[in-house]
Amino acid sequence: MAIRYLILLSRQGKVRLAKWFTTLSPREKAKIIKDVSQLVLARRTRMCNFLEYKDTKVVYRRYASLFFIAATDPTDNELITLEIVHRYVEQMDKYYGNVCELDIIFNFQKAYFILDELLLAGEMQESSKKNVLRVIGAQDGLEEMEVSEDGSLTGSHVQ
Amino acid sequence: MASAAAAMFNRGGSGPNKENSMRGLVSFIADLRNARARELEEKRINKELANIRQKFKQGSMTGYDKKKYVCKLLYIYILGWNVDFGHTEAVKLISATKYSEKQIGYLAVTLFLHEDHELLPLAINSIRKDLHDYNELNNCLALHAIANVGSKEMGESLCDDVHRLLISPTSKPFVKKKAALTMLRLYRKVPSIVQPEWAERIIAIMDDPDMGVALSVTSLIMTIAQDDPDAYRGSYVKAANRLRKIVIDHQYSGDYVYYKVPCPWLQCKLLRLLQYFPPSEDTHIRQLMRHSLRAILDAAMEMPKNVQQNNAQNAVLFEAINLIIHLDTEHDLMVHISTKLGKFIASRETNVRYLGLEAMTHLAVRTETLDPIKKHQDIIIGTLKDRDITVRRQGLDLLYSMCDTTNSQKIVQELLKFLQTADYAIREEMVLKIAILTEKYATDVKWYVDISMRLIAMAGDHVSDEVWQRIIQIVTNNDELQVYAAQTILQYCKADHCHETLVKIGSYILGEFGHLIADSQGCSPIEQFMALQGKFNSCSPNTRAMILSAFVKFVNLFPEIKPQLLQAFTTYSHSLDSELQQRACEYLTMATMPSDELLRTVCDEMPPFPERASALLSRLDKKQGAIGDKRTWSVTAKDGLPTLDRSSTLKRNFSAAQTATANGIANGAAISNGANGMVKSPIEELAGLDLGGPVNLASASHLSPDWEPGYHRLLLRPEGTLYEDVQIQIGLRSEYRAEVGCLIIYFTNKSSAPIQSFTTTLDNSSPEQLKIDIKDLPDTTVHPGSQAQQMVMFEAKTVFTDSPTIRVSYMAGSLQALTLKLPVAIHKYMENAVLSSDDFFKRWKQIGGAPRESQKIFQGYDVSTESTKRLLEGFKWGVLGGVDPNSKNFVGATVLHTTGGKFGCLLRLEPNMESKMYRLTIRATDESVPPVLMKYMEERLAQPWPL
Repeated sequence: MAIRYLILLSRQGKVRLAKWFTTLSPREKAKIIKDVSQLVLARRTRMCNFLEYKDTKVVYRRYASLFFIAATDPTDNELITLEIVHRYVEQMDKYYGNVCELDIIFNFQKAYFILDELLLAGEMQESSKKNVLRVIGAQDGLEEMEVSEDGSLTGSHVQ
Repeated sequence: MASAAAAMFNRGGSGPNKENSMRGLVSFIADLRNARARELEEKRINKELANIRQKFKQGSMTGYDKKKYVCKLLYIYILGWNVDFGHTEAVKLISATKYSEKQIGYLAVTLFLHEDHELLPLAINSIRKDLHDYNELNNCLALHAIANVGSKEMGESLCDDVHRLLISPTSKPFVKKKAALTMLRLYRKVPSIVQPEWAERIIAIMDDPDMGVALSVTSLIMTIAQDDPDAYRGSYVKAANRLRKIVIDHQYSGDYVYYKVPCPWLQCKLLRLLQYFPPSEDTHIRQLMRHSLRAILDAAMEMPKNVQQNNAQNAVLFEAINLIIHLDTEHDLMVHISTKLGKFIASRETNVRYLGLEAMTHLAVRTETLDPIKKHQDIIIGTLKDRDITVRRQGLDLLYSMCDTTNSQKIVQELLKFLQTADYAIREEMVLKIAILTEKYATDVKWYVDISMRLIAMAGDHVSDEVWQRIIQIVTNNDELQVYAAQTILQYCKADHCHETLVKIGSYILGEFGHLIADSQGCSPIEQFMALQGKFNSCSPNTRAMILSAFVKFVNLFPEIKPQLLQAFTTYSHSLDSELQQRACEYLTMATMPSDELLRTVCDEMPPFPERASALLSRLDKKQGAIGDKRTWSVTAKDGLPTLDRSSTLKRNFSAAQTATANGIANGAAISNGANGMVKSPIEELAGLDLGGPVNLASASHLSPDWEPGYHRLLLRPEGTLYEDVQIQIGLRSEYRAEVGCLIIYFTNKSSAPIQSFTTTLDNSSPEQLKIDIKDLPDTTVHPGSQAQQMVMFEAKTVFTDSPTIRVSYMAGSLQALTLKLPVAIHKYMENAVLSSDDFFKRWKQIGGAPRESQKIFQGYDVSTESTKRLLEGFKWGVLGGVDPNSKNFVGATVLHTTGGKFGCLLRLEPNMESKMYRLTIRATDESVPPVLMKYMEERLAQPWPL
């Protein structure tokens, strides 16, 4: 009972973020991305959010220009997986403040860091928004402190 | 629904609100976004790669620069380009002193590397250092790395550190939950990493007040419990209890309420975990679960408008439905859910429709009667026309599972109808399922043959070899099918267009049974020959070979068409295909031999096929693959159940074949479920439990050092202290009425800190003789100076020899655990009796000597009259005065109450003051009683335990 991978895909089929919770070769990953993109992009609205793909169940949902795609074991609870995706979106929304695709593009590392607080080993680890934000906030705090130290020692960095 | 959710992403749109602090990275990403054509993007990337490669080669960069360049490489990688350098720099970055650099280093490790990567061993030392760091954020980074790319080697060298972070009393919740899930990753890689003796401590974390920790550790336990349910049995009660706390007692913080649904993730996990164990026999636990399940169903009565709330609520609801189906005894709830599912499958919402079908399939597989499902048959058939293939597939699964003799004809007919328009992706599976159902529920010879042939005629291209071969097997093994099958297949073969697979069946069946129909109109030997001959040229070599074999059988059966047959052989003996050529030559030679002895022997009627598991089912099973989940069902499992009333009866071999079929899938299901070991049936698991299984810490073989004084004191008293140390005092009160005893056990926290995850587990080595019924569970938290209590009923069904034991475990910094023997022994069910001297001797004689007598001489500890009398009274003997001529001797009488009956017991105890010896004689109306009483009394009389 776990998520095997999570892919953020733009409507044009570009991968914005991919997280693999199982070990796969680059070739297998590429194949999955290709197949699953095709399946998901071809879906029409108001169809159900679940698909069968090989030995997995694909749970996807579209948010504006982005598709969030999670694959799980076939016996997993589909709806709760769907809400994991939603909680991730909400969590990013809270962090970035009105998240949009550009946030995820320009600050992709943060999108990964937030995901790491939500999902580990493919399992939900924390559903409290507050707790996640607190940890991310602590990380940002450290980073800002370091940046200001940098500034005082070596002058600001250009490029 | 999509639009509401989409709003979230549309609100932004003005660009990044959080400033990315690496300006070089930002402008690089912007450049790439401006590169509209792929070639431009590639050019820009190659330029950057060259630049970065050079920078790395020069060395002597600031940490900031390293971080920035690794970030650029990461971005390039995410876009799907190959990044074949910079991995070493990324690994080095994880040992940076600055957090932001370290963090990017770790991100790169999880993205660039994988568990078999050659650089990974180099990272292990840095990871270990971070696991030991005083800064928890660094612990977390290290745990992320292990949870993402943890390999066997990494697991073996770091699992102790991960385990420490999981159980250490100083670990913060946000570290603990990550440690739990990291452990899960390592367990998946190398199960032996999680040591059996950790189980009790890990289970205790399920009571953690932090919901995130509870959620994570439940995920870990769910996975391990599927492989080793015995070691993690303790999690069952914990799950039931925690679920109640959430659903009934509303014990959760507001943070964990997701759109009005309290922690749906944890609820789902707990409900699922309960499905991994055979249903509990314990009435209290069952009631606990019943209340929670009912509350969940009640909450689902209203349909919230909010999508998230609706989804979360239904996620919990469907898991609850699955648990109810698994428990299979809650009839009220079952009725409730079948009505509910009926509504779901007709819902306008596609998700709900789909999930309703899925849950109904589970119900069909498990339930005794299919009637509640059959009510919805038309709607279910209708789902085959749903616009969404996901729903259509599920509809197919359900129809397959809900099929029985009463509806098989209708369902098969609908499936055949749907097959013509079905998606290519599911045709093969449909064909397989139709074939299985047709065979399984055939009550009528004609029907079986008609459907099977029609199936192939319609969907021949999707028919796997197993399907047509199975038809031949069944026709061969069933005399009553042969004539009709031969007639039917001949008609197909005579038609202009006939699927090649039908020609294969035709060749075999006409070759074997063509003679049975040769006298019928239109079925003469020459017509049979022409039909097959006409298809020869359009067939593949395999089928041609089969046609030739049919022809050689014809030579034997129909001498009248021998010239035509010989002509055919002659023609094909010039075939370019060597296999065909050889066959034709051999057959020609055989057919033209002077004696037809060889021909007859070779072409003798084929013997029936040996009974074996249907290849169809094993194929279907293979298609469904090994599902990682070990709930005790799978979609195909229905066939494995002993459904005598449902299986049909085509006669003789055919019905025997069905038995084989049923077995076949039962085995198949077990194999597909048992990727990591065979799944035991609930019965087997229960048996395993009684016999002790692997490690049962609650059993008498794990008694704690100081169990004895309290136990022996309370053997002779109704109340007192059972155990005491600096942290805890365990006292009990008991009352016995006839065959039922009630024990209230009190647990007092003597320390100055609260005790957490307080858990009791009872162990009964003789469940047949002694029935234990737990009335309630103690609170999981016991505050300083306060008390938790538990009431347990013990019913003596018959004479039992061993006292039950109890395991008490709790968290007080670390895990503390005790195993104690409970002073529940057979004499507690005795009631002292008063008898006159005459009566006593009369009965004493009536009972007589062995086998209803036990006698023993043994050393006593304190043989004084006073002490001995008190002990006897403690053992609930009525001590009778003036019966024995020797006043130093004791005579006693008592009545033992059990559910199985009352037994009169008599005693004579002769102390020898000089030698400090006793001679004890016990007689009872049943021979099972004296030895047990003798054992307890001897043990007590010989020992110095204070009273």
